Amino acid sequence: MRKFSVLITLLIATFLIATTINVLVWDDAHTEAVKSLIKVFEKETGIKVNFEMLPSRSVLEKTAIGVSSQKTDYDLVAIDEPFIPQFSDLLLPYDEWPEGSKYKKPSLKVVLPEAFRAAEWKGVIRGLPINGNVYVWMARKDLIEKYQDEFKKEYGYDLGFPDTFDQLIDMAKFFTKKGIYGFGPFTIKSEGATCEAIFMFESFGTSVLELKDGKYKVVLDKEKAVKAIEFYKELLKYSPPGATAYGHSERIAAFNQGKIFTMFQWPAIIPSHENPDESLVAGKILYGPPPAGPEKRVAIRGCWILAIPKASKNKKAAAEFAYWWASKEMGKKLVKAGMTPVREDLLLDPELRSEKPWFVAIFQSMKYAVARPRFEKYPEVSDVIQRYWISAVTGQITPEEAIDKMVEEIKNVLRKYGY
Amino acid sequence: MSSGSMVIKRKPGVAPQALYFLVPAIILVGFVLIFPIIFAFFLSTFKWPLVETENRQFIFVDNYINIFKDKEFWHALYLQIGFILIAIPIELVIGFSVALLFNRSFPFATLIRSLLLLPVFVLPVLSGLTWRLMLQPEYGPLNYLISKLGFKQLTWLADPKLAYTAIIIQDIWRMWPFMFMIIYAGLTTIPKDLIEAAKLDGARFRDRVFKIIIPLLKPTIATALLLRIIDALRIFSEVFIMTEGGPGNATTLLSIYIYRQAFRYFNMGYSSAMAIVLMLISLIIALAIVSKNFEVE
Amino acid sequence: MKKITKYLIMFAAIAILLIELFPIIIIFLNGFKRDIDIWSGNPFQFKFTLKSYKKIFEKSDFLIGLKNSLIVGLANTVISILAGSMASYGISRYKFKSRKFLAYSFLISRMIPQISLAVPLYMLFRSMGLTDTVIALILAYTSFNIPYVVWLLLPFFNSIPIEFEEAALVDGCSRKQIFWKIFFPLAAPGIIVASIFVFITSWNEFIYALVLTGIRSKTAPIVISAFLGQFAPEWGQISAAGTFVLIPIFVFTLALQKYLIKGLMAGGIKG
Repeated sequence: MRKFSVLITLLIATFLIATTINVLVWDDAHTEAVKSLIKVFEKETGIKVNFEMLPSRSVLEKTAIGVSSQKTDYDLVAIDEPFIPQFSDLLLPYDEWPEGSKYKKPSLKVVLPEAFRAAEWKGVIRGLPINGNVYVWMARKDLIEKYQDEFKKEYGYDLGFPDTFDQLIDMAKFFTKKGIYGFGPFTIKSEGATCEAIFMFESFGTSVLELKDGKYKVVLDKEKAVKAIEFYKELLKYSPPGATAYGHSERIAAFNQGKIFTMFQWPAIIPSHENPDESLVAGKILYGPPPAGPEKRVAIRGCWILAIPKASKNKKAAAEFAYWWASKEMGKKLVKAGMTPVREDLLLDPELRSEKPWFVAIFQSMKYAVARPRFEKYPEVSDVIQRYWISAVTGQITPEEAIDKMVEEIKNVLRKYGY
Repeated sequence: MSSGSMVIKRKPGVAPQALYFLVPAIILVGFVLIFPIIFAFFLSTFKWPLVETENRQFIFVDNYINIFKDKEFWHALYLQIGFILIAIPIELVIGFSVALLFNRSFPFATLIRSLLLLPVFVLPVLSGLTWRLMLQPEYGPLNYLISKLGFKQLTWLADPKLAYTAIIIQDIWRMWPFMFMIIYAGLTTIPKDLIEAAKLDGARFRDRVFKIIIPLLKPTIATALLLRIIDALRIFSEVFIMTEGGPGNATTLLSIYIYRQAFRYFNMGYSSAMAIVLMLISLIIALAIVSKNFEVE
Repeated sequence: MKKITKYLIMFAAIAILLIELFPIIIIFLNGFKRDIDIWSGNPFQFKFTLKSYKKIFEKSDFLIGLKNSLIVGLANTVISILAGSMASYGISRYKFKSRKFLAYSFLISRMIPQISLAVPLYMLFRSMGLTDTVIALILAYTSFNIPYVVWLLLPFFNSIPIEFEEAALVDGCSRKQIFWKIFFPLAAPGIIVASIFVFITSWNEFIYALVLTGIRSKTAPIVISAFLGQFAPEWGQISAAGTFVLIPIFVFTLALQKYLIKGLMAGGIKG
């Protein structure tokens, strides 16, 4: 009898206690803004949210530790897109996400379809992209205006936003003569270098890794890859001193100090270029998609994906939260805090266009989006690419040697994991 | 008046009174660590990818064999040992010299001593970050000073040798006050009259230092070295934030390589095996230092 | 003559201090600079601003992090010093067969990289339902701080002559009284140094904190690392936050250092 009443009490209690979900995301102004608005969500849905924010590297570590196929500490996690292949088996496919009761489940029409590809692995979409992070190209409006005539006299065409790689080199060379540097590379050991490498390789027409019939093959075309390296080395000549150790901090600072004419940038960083407290060139920047390489125009993509672990016991609540976060109303509020939208309606919103001129550029760039190599053991491949790319462009080894070694070591990695 | 270990009981076995002193520590450390240490050993005998559970399998000593064959491991080990052999003696010498200098009362001594420890207190990540800023050509304060003095600015962190030097300098800067503090505390335990008597006997400063102070301080110095080496073998945040192990693998110390295998490649088994190897190396170094300078007997 | 020497030493000390503290001064100043000035060459020319400090306090979990760090740091230091000094005394004064083994096994816990122990520790505390609690951190930290204390105190304990305790024993004091009333105070220099470093280690520890804490028990290093940003650090904020968290440590150290008076031992021994 006693056991029975305890059981009844427990059942009643479970119904009365609100659902609580645990969310793990990265930490920046965007997520801080989400956190500040959570009370609204909690009131409207009765779902309590434990919103944990961590530095992005730590998010990956904690996800790996806390999420398994049987147990999970989190109902909703943010996963950086290169790691989707690795975690894909643990994540609920987007098709199976429950429909939202209060908020609508975004479809491929609302969120840019190329962004959804970031969440895709082996044909299945594994989550909801929550920001539109893709290479955007920047160029100094004021410098273009100032040197229009001089440039035209020397090169014969109008100085403007660089549209092709050839124009990029011409303009970089021109400006370096003027004491401003033409280009801002990315050369320190980190993911950013892999992005630049893939950007260059793809622009010259070659990919690194391809999945065919369940087997991975290294498909790097040596000739094109070497050309890509040579081109980047040329660009480095027109970069500021210290450009051989340029990471995010250094590039941002150099551009903000007005020392660089043109370079790529991640949209999430652009607010700092437009902030007068940080940048001498705020308001003087033009945005657009990256210049086209000899073979094609590409832009590297790096979205954060919201994913629901299969082992979660609160999938419906987690999905509801994700839809709320991804809704247009939330989007409008979050954009003010620095969020990079991934919804077409926000990116093309005329109200936002004057404040955020780069949104249109994001929309354009997304059309040319490519991903870094998709592979379950991506980090090891990325490290190989970084290492040899940087050694080659900084002149420590020859481009041919770099490509040979890169291919050889990537093949070793494939072999190690049975491909 | 004697130094060296003084022992009371000579009965074999552990006297019940000793237990009173030993038990709290044993329980606290044991409780928290027995499972993790055993688990780490256990993991090292497995192929254990953190994320894919199906691929886990027992491979006995294969991880260790692979470590032996891994060029990157040996390179990382070489870098780590080099780091210790260069940075720590310099920290010791600077710390010792400054401790000798401070070994008297002077105005603001306490305040200055506490301020001197700030580099040790600073968050490791912030220390590495600040050095990265300072070493930047064009903007870094250090390079700015160098250029004002007429020298050419260098891109420290792009050159393998310079980057390695930079992380060593960072550690020396950060940790010599640690050595200083321990040696200073040790100096305060040396009876003043001992030094006075030696002075009266006509002993010169150099003799006083080498014949009296250093021998008396041997155990203290040994402990400082021991603790510093054990920690330096696991140094991580400062170096990682400065170079991430780059350029190339020029600053990929063993501790960084272990992290990379564990949390970038998620090969937990391999990483644990390397951790065990690192632990054994630490143990050998510890035994070497202790047996020469210390009587735990 | 003596006074001049004292002042000479003081000036030498200040010179050393200034050279050594140059990077710290940079961090301190950066907390008051706009990002645009941090990256502009001359570290001493800038426009003063309190924006970064304002921003760090606006960050939702900054104060929580500080509070947790303080609790964990202090509790941990007290427990580690007490248990550690007792164990060190036991090893120093009692000879028993497994003495060396015990001393070294304490040390081993500090020889394995924390990364490798983090995952099993997480599993251990999760099975006990202690994830995201301050207690888990306090316990986890004692696991590497107690060995530190044990070994750091050994040379200090060994150098205290046995005559004190023998005299006290003859006088009828129990071992426990001897330890707490006589020995502990005599070993003050070692204990002070140990306390300072144990506190710092706990205060700055990152990996265990990352793995074992969540939103409730987050500590300061985790919160501050958020200023590292996904791409580039928020220089002003991380400098401001880093400077701010130095204050408790500095106060703690200054307070303890007052007891590190030279000659404490000399007088004691002769007596």
